[in-house]
Amino acid sequence: MSSVDRRLQGVLLLLGVWIAALLIYPMVGSQVLSWRDLFTGETTTAVIFWKLRLPRALLGLLAGGSLAVSGLTLQTLFRNPLAEPYTLGVASGAALGAVLALLLGGSGVGTSFPTVGLSSLLGALAVAAILVALSSSRFGGDSSTLLLAGIAISLSCSALILFVQFLADFTQTFRMVRWMMGGLAVVGFREVLWVSPIAISGVAILFGYRRELDLLLASDELASSRGLDLIRFRCVALGVTSIVIGGIVAVAGPIGFVGLIVPHILRRWLGHAHLYLIPACALGGGAFLTMCDLAARTILAPAELPVGILTALLGGPFFVWLLLRRRVVH
Amino acid sequence: MTGPVAIRARRVFWEVDGRRIVGPIDLALSRGECLAIVGPNGAGKSTLLRLLAKLIEPTSGTLVSGEDDYSQISRRDLARRVAFVPQNRAHGSDFTVRQWVLLGRFPHASRWQIGVVPDDVRAVDEALTMTGALDLQDRHLGELSGGEQQVVHIAAALAQEAKVLLLDEPTTHLDPQHQRQITSLLMRLRSETECSMVIATHDLNFAAQLGDRVMALRDGREMICDVPDRVISADLLGRLFETPFTVTRQGKRLVALVDYDS
Repeated sequence: MSSVDRRLQGVLLLLGVWIAALLIYPMVGSQVLSWRDLFTGETTTAVIFWKLRLPRALLGLLAGGSLAVSGLTLQTLFRNPLAEPYTLGVASGAALGAVLALLLGGSGVGTSFPTVGLSSLLGALAVAAILVALSSSRFGGDSSTLLLAGIAISLSCSALILFVQFLADFTQTFRMVRWMMGGLAVVGFREVLWVSPIAISGVAILFGYRRELDLLLASDELASSRGLDLIRFRCVALGVTSIVIGGIVAVAGPIGFVGLIVPHILRRWLGHAHLYLIPACALGGGAFLTMCDLAARTILAPAELPVGILTALLGGPFFVWLLLRRRVVH
Repeated sequence: MTGPVAIRARRVFWEVDGRRIVGPIDLALSRGECLAIVGPNGAGKSTLLRLLAKLIEPTSGTLVSGEDDYSQISRRDLARRVAFVPQNRAHGSDFTVRQWVLLGRFPHASRWQIGVVPDDVRAVDEALTMTGALDLQDRHLGELSGGEQQVVHIAAALAQEAKVLLLDEPTTHLDPQHQRQITSLLMRLRSETECSMVIATHDLNFAAQLGDRVMALRDGREMICDVPDRVISADLLGRLFETPFTVTRQGKRLVALVDYDS
């Protein structure tokens, strides 16, 4: 019973951190805001708060949370701690879709957000479809093969992204490179409203599959013998995860390693039960990305570092540490 | 043993790229019966268990649970009838024993069920008590010895509350103390529950002691399936394993040993 209490306490603590991130983030930055100015309706403060920082905080919380839950799901699906939206190629597929939209749309309508968004979703789903086709094939039960296939797809997408950049003109290339750095800079709530149904319903569906995910941690054979239809479940879970990732990448660009770092830390802290881990990742991932973004826009203030650079700087060494730790463990 | 049939296999074959791995298998497992499957490496013992657990589909032939054809039963429904304890057990080291046994309740849980329901608690407690693993429930699987882990895996299968247990090499890699512990546990299950069991094993003495019938499998085919007295004989084992055996009787028990002298 005590371990249940401890895990529940952990989730509640993360809820507190999540709320704190939501309250602190909009007030801090190159210009520090005060709650009093906000409530008295001071114009500049209101514009910065409502137009810039609150939408950005909400986007960070949504994107970080759903990336962490997606990473957690992929790690469980492939039973591999190195699986995450980027190592599996789903995010790279989304990025390729978005970059193609930026190229084909030129500097006109194609650069507008919904086109990039839909194209990004299609890219993520295309990679998911390849992974699903592989998982439905006779090699379907082999998680390592799927993971290696994902890494190969990811590398191919990266090469295609470079090819698209090679074809693009100077302005398009600049826009692509800037977008590829990943960032949460939005104005107004349009992007947040677009991405929240995808992110929230995706996380809710994955939470509904918490028992299936628990079972998958055992082994494919054991999960199957306990009544789990492995191929069908992999297809559904990969499909849902890809839609979530496609939606996030469309708005925020490729923000790497959140899906790797957050689930690992939380798993070590709270154990393996997805009943607790999924809400913990949704809250912890959101708070983590929002706080990273806060650091990214204050470290070099008034200049802003794209948050994708910061998460990649943290994630790279973490990835290596994880690899080394796996070697030691095995 | 001629009670109602728990599982029936009719002319079951399993082939890979046109190559026959297992078959033809005809089998009727009665309720409460224990069937031991013996045979050399690669004879198809584990494959036959995987077919019975619906982990692989037969290339031809039919499998029936009670009155229902396997193809008509969902995987979840079958899991409420047939539980499987696989050979490869290097999983779940991060789970506590109780969490692991609770995973056996998966086929009984509804999608909207949050947390654990009283039925789960009862089934898990019963499984842990029956296997004598109640004291281990808060320990992590990775901390346990091979024998203790095997007990816990059997407990998880019992929590599934299936009427048929399929066990793949349950005593392999265990020291004599733990072999004895698992054998006693399975004998107790056989006498105290209505579970039918199919056990694939290399341990002929274990098979002779536990099996109501023993099936000798060679090259995927059944050589014989009969009471232990008729299967565990020097002549038949010699042909089955292509190696000489001596078989003696100690009280009620048959003891088969490889004959190194001839």
